[in-house]
Order: sequence, then structure tokens, then C-alpha cells
Amino acid sequence: MRDLAVAELDDETLRARADALGLALRVDELRGIADRLGRAPSLVELYAFDAQWSEHCSYKSSRALLSHLPTKGADVVLGPAEDAGILHLGEHEGERYGIVIAHESHNHPSQVVPFEGAATGIGGIVRDVLCMGAEVVAVADPLRFGNVDPARPHQRAVARGVVDGIAAYGNAIGVPNLAGDCYFDPEFDDNVLVNVVALGLVKESQIIHSRVPKHGADFVLLLVGKATDASGFGGASFSSVALDARETESNKGAVQVPDPFLKNVIMRASYRVFSMLRARGIEVGFKDLGAGGIMGCSAELCSAGGFGAELDLDTVNVAVDHLLPEVIAVGETQERLLWALPEEIVDEVERIYNEEFSLPQVAQNARAVRIGRATAAQRYQLRHRGELVMDVPIDFLTGTVRDTLPAQPPAPPRERREHDLACERTLDDVLHATLAHRDVCSRAPLFRHYDAVVRGRTVIPRGEADAGVLAPIRGSQLAFALSVDGNPRIGRIDPERAAEHAVYEAVRNVVAVGAEPIGLTDCLNYGSPRDARQFGELVAGIDGLARSARALGLAYVSGNVSLYNAASDGHAIPASPIVACLGRLTDVSQCVTLALKEVGSRLYLVGETQRALGGSVLAALLSLRDEGVPAIDFERVLAEHRFLLAAARAGLLRSAHDISDGGLLVTLAEMSFACYPAQRAAIGIELDGLAGWSNVGRYESLFGEWGGIVVEVAERDVDRFEELAGALESVREIGTTIPQPILAFDDDAWEIDDLHRSWSRPLQELFP
Amino acid sequence: MTARVAVLVFPGTNSEEETRDLLLDCGADARIVHWSESASLAYYDAFVLPGGFAYEDRIRAGAIAAHDAMLDVVIEAAQAGKLVMGICNGAQILLEAGLVPGSGEIRRPTAAFTHNAQGHFICERVLLRRTVAAERCAIAAALPEDALIPAWAAHGQGRLAASAAHLEEIERGGHVVFRYADARGATDAHLAPQGSALGAAALTNREGNVLAIMPHPERDAWNFNHLDRREGADVLAPSGGSVLFRSFVTALERW
Repeated sequence: MRDLAVAELDDETLRARADALGLALRVDELRGIADRLGRAPSLVELYAFDAQWSEHCSYKSSRALLSHLPTKGADVVLGPAEDAGILHLGEHEGERYGIVIAHESHNHPSQVVPFEGAATGIGGIVRDVLCMGAEVVAVADPLRFGNVDPARPHQRAVARGVVDGIAAYGNAIGVPNLAGDCYFDPEFDDNVLVNVVALGLVKESQIIHSRVPKHGADFVLLLVGKATDASGFGGASFSSVALDARETESNKGAVQVPDPFLKNVIMRASYRVFSMLRARGIEVGFKDLGAGGIMGCSAELCSAGGFGAELDLDTVNVAVDHLLPEVIAVGETQERLLWALPEEIVDEVERIYNEEFSLPQVAQNARAVRIGRATAAQRYQLRHRGELVMDVPIDFLTGTVRDTLPAQPPAPPRERREHDLACERTLDDVLHATLAHRDVCSRAPLFRHYDAVVRGRTVIPRGEADAGVLAPIRGSQLAFALSVDGNPRIGRIDPERAAEHAVYEAVRNVVAVGAEPIGLTDCLNYGSPRDARQFGELVAGIDGLARSARALGLAYVSGNVSLYNAASDGHAIPASPIVACLGRLTDVSQCVTLALKEVGSRLYLVGETQRALGGSVLAALLSLRDEGVPAIDFERVLAEHRFLLAAARAGLLRSAHDISDGGLLVTLAEMSFACYPAQRAAIGIELDGLAGWSNVGRYESLFGEWGGIVVEVAERDVDRFEELAGALESVREIGTTIPQPILAFDDDAWEIDDLHRSWSRPLQELFP
Repeated sequence: MTARVAVLVFPGTNSEEETRDLLLDCGADARIVHWSESASLAYYDAFVLPGGFAYEDRIRAGAIAAHDAMLDVVIEAAQAGKLVMGICNGAQILLEAGLVPGSGEIRRPTAAFTHNAQGHFICERVLLRRTVAAERCAIAAALPEDALIPAWAAHGQGRLAASAAHLEEIERGGHVVFRYADARGATDAHLAPQGSALGAAALTNREGNVLAIMPHPERDAWNFNHLDRREGADVLAPSGGSVLFRSFVTALERW
């Protein structure tokens, strides 16, 4: 057996040998493994610990912090313990339905091989949802790209590759792309962010857990999917180090190869297995193969149920002969899942995958195959060619590892303005520049690559409201809304408030479509935990996420931490907490889109203007050194949201749109664009003078990003709307809708047509 | 007896459920039939080929599926005058199988829905207008005159392409059942979002019993898909693009 004589080597030699083997384990970790085993660890064992103890799998530097996040609540069916969380959607025909939600990053793979990296990001998150026994019903993708100016071919190619990869995978498996956002910032030049969210529908009585059930000693481990090959070897460790441009080529071997065609068939076959299991009332375990491959998945599936495992690597269906045992064990070949099944149904499950859905004909040597068993003995054992190549205590392999690292709190923001902005550029100039800014302009050239409507249950596709809405159950009016948000311009100057704004914006977007927020997920994209300043940003971000969720009465049910997001010079990305909010509509007909509906409506602002411009598009355009980010009064926000949801249920909101990137004028323009140049006649807006609705200056009022929502209320509903608002002070009338296709304010009037030209075109050249 | 409709699933198909659901809601007795169950196909009276990426779009979209054993049954049924409708990938398969426009031999296509002009997948709302007489295509015969049918173009290969001679034959033979239209019902070729020749969104065969339609009417087919222009109070009721499915079911009843 090939092994590493750890005890016989000095630290320097050991480090050199470990580096040569491509192991990221530290010297003290290597010695700890050898001590615990009482012998020289085999290479298979070392690669197993390397994956299992990587930051990617173990969350060793972030786990303690994540315990600060609220994870319990009335709508939480399953918190963040398994492959995905579950929120309660509602009841239909006596059944309780849950929405399974998972949220991950695939940043490093997407930087190195954009198409495959982004595609396998979708592929992996979809398996996380599928393995909970759910039907996959939607995906979403928050993206952060670098500077994609025409003179930046590499950054442009990465952005295009990512979008093509997401489209190729999601479209082929037939899951609608419901939501997403996209920012461009030179600080992502060497390290793009590709986050993915997937949603599934499950009856709460039929959830399958990612563990061998209690009575599962001797349950068969049945591997399903693509034949194991040499791709994706070292993926978990690769995700846990900073990217170095010189190593891009050698890192490519760690990236996985997507096969959405096979996945499409595996999903449908798995749905068939789900219904067979339900009919027979059999409890089983099911888990996605992600980081750490067969080893990581089988070890976690068995240890979560209190069992050990024994596997024979020779039984694994492989694509090529003579794979090394460590490659079969920890390689991250895509499109694979692992069942833990009682012996009596294994043949039937094999038949469904291999014959009814003919996996071996769909892809070379793809199939369902028995590879081992769960055992009462608490060992994790792998055999290869008759030899025991791994034999370790399972709790040692899957147990908690922790790094306690120093954190330096972010410096408080340096510059705030005490007076209204004196701006030399005209309103006209600033408005057009804002609409054309890459973080503001139309996202349609990007998201039209994605199938938004496959499965036929999409209620509001991307671009027609602040959140995507989908009614997942045939014959039911239950629907959910999804939004994903996080603003890197704020992350750069105030990491804690960036987290609060991510929560506020995701929740606000869900409320804007008339849905009740019921839960959150988070993906924490930060720099190196070994840099005290960068680690301090993560600490501050988690504080912000925890505080804002508590204030809004919401819990996190799933999430992911992605560290080491930095360029090779050590320069970290802006702190990028990205939050997804799921909302619930008990009656889908109450949802609200952003398109203006009629002439003669009143427009109301629900929210408070603020002077702070820190993190705004305006600040970026004018190069303002303003680090004051708008504060969020969550108590007031909660009251506003309750009022808006009551108004939506009463049918009083004709349209609604939140104020975010670019500020209020952008919000109003987009409400007008949405009914133009489509089939309806154009509807314009006359905005009232500032005196009636703002205490701050012109530019702060019109371009500040202080949050809030603009709603359209028909003339006939105004009394009821104002009565419902009652004593809520932050509800003010700001304008009316008019038949002329213009946006009018004070002495200025802009043709909607001209504004639309500025807004609709900038991304067309990047995504033709 | 109600006519029985098979909704065919090839490896890679992804739109079978909504297609089956809409057929059911429009009054058909529709079932999903998998590639491994092709032996049961003889019992069906009509066939619908739904959207997706059958056989991964290898060679050309629909090219491999056109040689699947299920197509043997479909081709025989079409030649016997049974109704066959292909949507999106299903339409591509019918062209590859040579059933539509049907001017050549079986499995020797004379036209194809191929790569979009922009070179990538597009997902957009579109409107369709029937541009042939009602009796030209049985499946579209019961549509209200001048109806504008809402649908989604969601494809990477939806541009009709053929030789000039074949295009002329398609046009002259009245094969173009639906064209892309604007809100006023005008049908100019430039309205095809992917550059489809003749502005064509759907073709039929000579006999008019087979329809190959690229956009998806079944994705804008219930009130909840288009709340801003719902018809009636029931958000779960079929509307919008479902008119084509109703027409299909009407044709089945007459058949």
C-alpha cells in the first residue's frame, strides 16, 4: 500500500512531500492523522482527509461564526443541517408542502473554466435539492463579473462563458431560471463570483434525509449516475486556496465536467424512484456527491445516521481503467448521487435507473450500482483490488475540525457628508449616465439566454417584477417568490452594512411582488480567513446578517461559505454576502408586477429618503469619497412591509418596484419601460416637487439608494390605501401616471423613449 | 370514446408534464409515454412531441430522435392521417423525420429549424398569427379567425432554413401555418426573433394533419401565466396559448 511515513519526516520534508502530492493539509494536521491512526496514513486516507478537512467541506474557520445566525422559525421545516433547507409553503388538499432551498458558490471553477464551472455549479445545487426527495422547480444565479470593457477580452470571455454555462445546463435539464442579479466591478477581474440557488417542491411527509435511517445497519449503498473518471480530483481543496494565474492550467484538472443531458434523465428516474418509495412507505437515505466524491458522500451519509461504512472501489462503474484508488474515492466526477437502501428494494431501484430509464444507453457506462454497505462498526473502510486502502474511525473523518483565527474589525467609514450634494453635472446628464451604468441597465441581454418558463408554472419571469414568482403545484393557488441580492459597492466600504442591505433588499423585493417573506439563505463570499482584516470582514458580515434577519423575524435555512476569493496578489474581493429570500403567496392572483397599469394612478413612496450616498451608483459616477451608507431602520421597514402586504392582499397595488441600484428615478423609469414598448400604450409619470416628500437634496432624493418601494394606486383606491396606511409616516404621495410618454420632474421632462435607449443597450454588446 | 393522446418522452425531453397537463385541461385523454415503453404506442390515436433536448441535440436538434423507434410509430400514424403535433424540439424532430413540410422522403429532411441568427438560446414572449385558411391544417382549424396566440420562443435552434426552392415550395404550398406577429397582428419576417425564414413559427405537411410549431403556447396557457391579461376570475383556468390545444382537441373529436 502506498503511504506517507509522516512520523519519519521532519517538518520541512513533510511539507515538501505533501506539496508534491498536492495536499493542502497542514503539517500539524498530517501529524495528527498519523498519531490517531498509529501508523503511516495511506495515500487514499490522506486525500480523503485533505478533502474532508478542507475549508470547503469542514467550514473550519467559519463554523463557530455561523452559529450566530438565526435558524429557527415557524416556517422552518428543516434548518441548515443537510444538503438543503426546507421552508413551509402551505397546504393543498390536506398535504403540507415545503420548498427545498439550497444556495452555493462555484466561484473558483468558474474563474478557471467559465462554461464548465458555471454549468457544474447549477448541476451540483440541483442535486442538493433533488436528494431531499424534491422535484426541482427553479434555479437562480447571482453573478459578479470584472470590468468587461471592450479592451478586456479575458474578463469578457469569462462573463460570456459563465452565462453560456448556466444556460446550457439549466435549459437542458428543464428547470426555469427564475431570479438573479449581476454586478460588474474591476475588483472581480481575477475572481468572479458565480452563486447558484435551486428550489424544489416536496410534500413535508415525504422528505428524504441525507443520512442512513435509524434501522439502517447493512443498508446497501447504491451509487447512481455518470461513470467515475479522473475529472474533479482535488476540487474541494482547490476551492480552499487563492487562485494564482500561473497555476490556472494545473487547476483545470480539478474542475468537473458537466452532463446536463444525463442529469435530465437521472432527475426523471429519481422522481420515479421517489414515487415507488412513497407507495411502499420505505425510509431511505439519499445524498448528492459533491466535494470529496464517493468518500465524502458515503462517509457523511453513514456517519449522520450513526453508522460506519465499507465500500469496495472495484465495484464502482468507471469510465477508464486503471484509475488510482484515491481518484475513485475522492474525485468529483459530476452527475452522481448515493442511495442508502434496504436490501429488498435495491433490485427494483437498479431496474428503474438501468432499464426503465436506460442510463447505460444515455451515457457511457452510466448506471446504478452497489458499491458498499452501512455498518454498525464505526469505521470507514475502502477496499481496492482486495486490499484495505483506507481504514479510519468514521467520526475522526467526518467530525468537526476548527481553526481559531484572529479577526480585525473593519475600520469605521471615514467620510460622510453633512450637507446636500452640490453637483456640477445636470440632472439630464446624470440620469442618462445612471440608466446606462452596467449595474443599472437592462439585464435582458443576459437573462434571455436562460429558459424562464419551462415546466409552464412560471407566474412572473425575471425582469417583469422585483422577484420571480412560480406556482409549483398543479391545481393549487399557492405560489412562491424568490429574490437574490447583495451589493458589492457597499461591501467595499462597509462590510457589516453590506450584509444588512443584502437582507433588506432581498426581503424588499419579495414584498414588492406581494409575497410574505418566509426565510433566507446566504452565501458568504469573502477573502482569506488567514488575513485578519479579510477575516474581520466575514465576522462583521455575519453579525450584519444575524442582526437584520432577527429584526425581520426571519431565519436562514441553508447557506455556504466561499473563502479565499482573492487575486494572486492577495487583494481580496469586496465583502460579498449574497442573500436569497423566499416569499409565500397563498393566492397567486394577488401578486404584483412592476409595469405601470393605468393613466391617472397615484404613485406613493413607502420609505424614507436619506442623505447618505455611500455605495450608490451616483457616488461611483461622480467618484464621490462618501463612505456613509444609508442606515436601515428595521422596525420601520417591518411596519412598511406589513402595510404593503395588506395593501397587496386587498388588491390595492396596481404595480410596485423597489428603489435600489440607481435610485428613485431609475425605479420610476423602469416602471414605465415595463409597459413600453410592449403591447400596451405607453404610460408616463409626473413626479411631484421634492418639498412634498423629501427632506434631503435633489441628487440624494433622486439617486440615493436608501431603499423603499414605489407603488401605483388607482385613483378609485386612494382612500382605502391611505386609510390602511393609517399613522405610518413613511408613506407619501410622490406623483401621478400620465398619458404622455415622458418622465416629468420640476422643469425637466424626459422622453421615455430616450431613457429606454440609454437603459436597454449597454449589455447588448457584451451579450449580443 | 375519447381519443387517446400520447405525449412522447425521449432521453432529454423536458416539457412533457405541462404539455400533458394542458391537454388534460383542454379535455383530451393524454398520457406521457417513455422511450422504454414504445411498444404501447400502437394504442394511441394522436401524438404530441413536447419540447426539450432529445438526445442532447446531437448532430442537429431532433436528428437522432427522428430515428428513434418511437418515430416509426409516429410516421406510420401520420401517414395514416392521425394528428401529430410537435412543439419546439418536437417540431425539430418532425422536420428531421421528413414529415413536415413532407415534400421529400421520410427521414430525408428538406428543411430544418436550425441555429438562431444570434447564435445562442433565446427566451422571449412572442405572438403568433395563423396565416393560412382554417381548413389548411386540421390542428389549427378551430382557432378563432385572426386570433393572436401568445407563446414563448425558448430555443437555440428555431430559425427555419431550407434551399430557396424548398422555401418557395413551403410558401406556395401554404405550409406556414403560423408566423410571428406584432400586437396589431402584422406579420413581417423581421418579427421572427431568431431570423426564421418567411417569418415562420410553425409548418404543416401537405395533408394538414401534422403541425410542427417552434414557440411554446403551453407556457403561456393558464391565467396564472399572465395575470395582467387573465380571462375570468379563475387563475387556474386555461387561457392564452391554450386556444391551440383546444383546437387540437376539437380536431381530435372530429377525427
